[in-house]
Amino acid sequence: MFDHTFKTAAVFASLGLVIAVVNARPAPAQEAGAVTVTFSGITRPTGALMVGVYDSEAAFAGGKPVEGFRLTVDGPQANQVITGLKPGSYAIKVFHDVDGDGRMNTNGFGIPTEPYAASNNAPSRMGPPSWADARFEVTAEGAAQTITID
Amino acid sequence: MDRRAFLTAAAAAGLAQVVTPEQAFARAAASQPAWSLAVGDVMGDIPRQSLRRIHGKPPAGLAGTLYRNGPARFRRPGGDATHWFDGDGLVRAFRIGPDDASLEAKFVDTFKRRQDAAARAVITPGFGTLGSDRAVIGSADDTNAANTALLPIGGELLALWEAGSPYSVDPATLETRGLKTFSPELAHMPFLAHPRIEPGGRVWNLGLAGRRAIVWTLAPSGAVERTTLVDLPRASFIHDFTATDRHLVIVLQPLIQDRMVLPFVDAFSWRPEEGTQVLVLDKDDLSRRRLYDLPAFFFFHLGDAWAEADGTVRFDACLDSTPDFAVHGARDILTGKPAPNGVSLAMVALHPDGRAELNRTPLTAEFPRADPRRAGLSRSKTIINSVRTQGRPLLRGVGVSDWRTGKADLFDYGPDHCAEELLFVPRPGDGNELGGWLVGTSLNLKARATELHVFDAAHVSDGPLCSWRAEVGLPVGFHGAWVGG
Ligand SMILES: [Fe+2]
Repeated sequence: MFDHTFKTAAVFASLGLVIAVVNARPAPAQEAGAVTVTFSGITRPTGALMVGVYDSEAAFAGGKPVEGFRLTVDGPQANQVITGLKPGSYAIKVFHDVDGDGRMNTNGFGIPTEPYAASNNAPSRMGPPSWADARFEVTAEGAAQTITID
Repeated sequence: MDRRAFLTAAAAAGLAQVVTPEQAFARAAASQPAWSLAVGDVMGDIPRQSLRRIHGKPPAGLAGTLYRNGPARFRRPGGDATHWFDGDGLVRAFRIGPDDASLEAKFVDTFKRRQDAAARAVITPGFGTLGSDRAVIGSADDTNAANTALLPIGGELLALWEAGSPYSVDPATLETRGLKTFSPELAHMPFLAHPRIEPGGRVWNLGLAGRRAIVWTLAPSGAVERTTLVDLPRASFIHDFTATDRHLVIVLQPLIQDRMVLPFVDAFSWRPEEGTQVLVLDKDDLSRRRLYDLPAFFFFHLGDAWAEADGTVRFDACLDSTPDFAVHGARDILTGKPAPNGVSLAMVALHPDGRAELNRTPLTAEFPRADPRRAGLSRSKTIINSVRTQGRPLLRGVGVSDWRTGKADLFDYGPDHCAEELLFVPRPGDGNELGGWLVGTSLNLKARATELHVFDAAHVSDGPLCSWRAEVGLPVGFHGAWVGG
C-alpha cells in the first residue's frame, strides 16, 4: 500500500552489509565523550542487533556508517558504549536480526519483518526515520541514548 | 473606511455570527439528511444488551451468532476521516438463542485507532483519507482499520481489512488479541477482506501489491497450507475475487494504480478504454492461467463462481459503470451529501473458446452472497441487498435473485431503513440450495435503532419471520459471518 516501506527496508538492509566493512579509524584529534546506548524492549532474545552510527544526513539515508556493531541478543536489553567519536551530530540505525542470518528479513512484498529503530526513537512517518528526527549531539561530555526496539 | 466605521462593521459582523452551541448543533443536524445516522460515530464499545423482539418469533432450530464488521468512528476533535472506508472497525455480535437475542459490539483495538485517539484527530492515512505526516507508519498495518469483514477460523475471529494482515479477535469476548501473523516471513502481508471458502473449509485469499499478488491457502484449521506469489497483468483495484471448485477468478477492472500518492485511492486512474480483464488460475497449479476480456465496468463484489462440464466458468457481479462512488461518493456521504451509485447485478460467462460474455440486468444489487455449501459449485440463487431510494447512497431492501427463473424475491424494509448484508443459515436437515433462513440487519432511521431480521430464504417477500430491535442505532456496516450453535 505504501511504497515507503520498501524504502525503509532498503535503508535498513544496507546496515547488514556495511557493518562488516567498517574498519578501525585513526583516533581523531579531539575526542568527544563516550556515547552510552541502551537498546530496550527486545521481545525475542535471539540473534543480534545490527547497529550503525552515522555522522551526516546523506550517510544516514543509505551511506556508510562511521561506526558499526553487531551486538548479540540474549535478553530484553543490550548495551553499547561508543568512544572515539568527534564532537558533532550523529544518528543511529538499528535492526534486530532475529534469526541471525545477517540480513534484515522482509516479506514477499519487501516489507520489513524484523524490528528496526533509530536514535531518539525517531518514528517512521511517511518514510523511514529521518535524520532530523534521529540526530543527537555528541559533546565533550558524551551522550546517552535509549532506543526501544521490537 | 475610518477606524470607527471599521470597528462598528466588525462588531455588527461579530454579532451576526454569535451562535450558541445549541443553535450550532441544531443547524448541523438540520443540514444532515436522515440517513446520516448510517455513517455516524459510535463513541465507545457497546456492552451486551438484550434485543427487543418487535415482530414474529424466531424459527425453531435457529441458534448462533451473526458477527458483523464495519467502520463506526470517523470523527475526532482535531480532524476527521474523509472516506467511509477509513472509520475504525466495530465488531458486532448478534447472538440468537432459543428464547432471546442480544447485541454486543467492540472496536478492534488497532494501532491506527490508538494513534488517532492519542492525537485526538484522525492523523493516520487510509483508503481515502490523507492523514497527517505526524502519523507513525512502520508498515501498512499501522494504517489498518480492521473494518471490512470477519473470518471465523481456528477458534479466532479474524477482523479483515484489505491492504494489511487480519486482526485476531476473541469470538466470545470480542477482545482484540492482536495483529495476526501466520508466520514470521508472512508478517504484514496483505489479506483481502473477501476470502473464498470451499464447502470443506479450505480458505483461498489474495493480498495485493500493485501487479503482484500473494495467493493464500489456509486449511480449515486456520493454518497456512501454502502461499504463492503471482504476477498480474495489471495493477488493478481489487477488493474481491471469486473461485470455482478448481479455479481462482481474478477480475481486473480498469481502475489502475499508476502512481505513488496518498491517500491510496488517489493512486488509481479510471481507464475504461482498456476494458476489464479476467484472469483465471488453476488452484492446483497457479502457473496455469487464462486471460479473458470484457467491457469496462467497476465493481466491489462478485458472487461465488462455478465451472460447468464443458469448462464454462460462470459468476455474478454487482457492477457500476464508473468508480465514482468509491472515489467520491464514499467521501461525500460522510458529510451528508447524496452519493449516487448505479450498482446492479450481472452474470459473466467465460467460455472454453476464450470468449467472455457479460449479461447485465436492471436489478439493483450489492453485497452478493450465496449458499456456502455450494461455494464453487453450480447454483442458481444469489442473496442481495436491493431497492434504491433516489438521492440516497444506501439500499433499503433485501432479496434473492434466481438465475434459472430470472426472478427476484424482494422485500423492501421501507424508506426508513438502510439494509445491510444478509447471510444464509441452513435449516438443520435441509440440503436444498438456500434451504433455510437469511439473517441480517438494518438500520431503522426513524427509530434510530439497529434491527436484526430472520427471513425464510424461500419467501423473502413475505417479510421477516422475526425481527428484534436494539437500543442503539449503529452505523451501517459491511460484511459478516454466521457461526452456528
Ligand atoms: Fe466488501
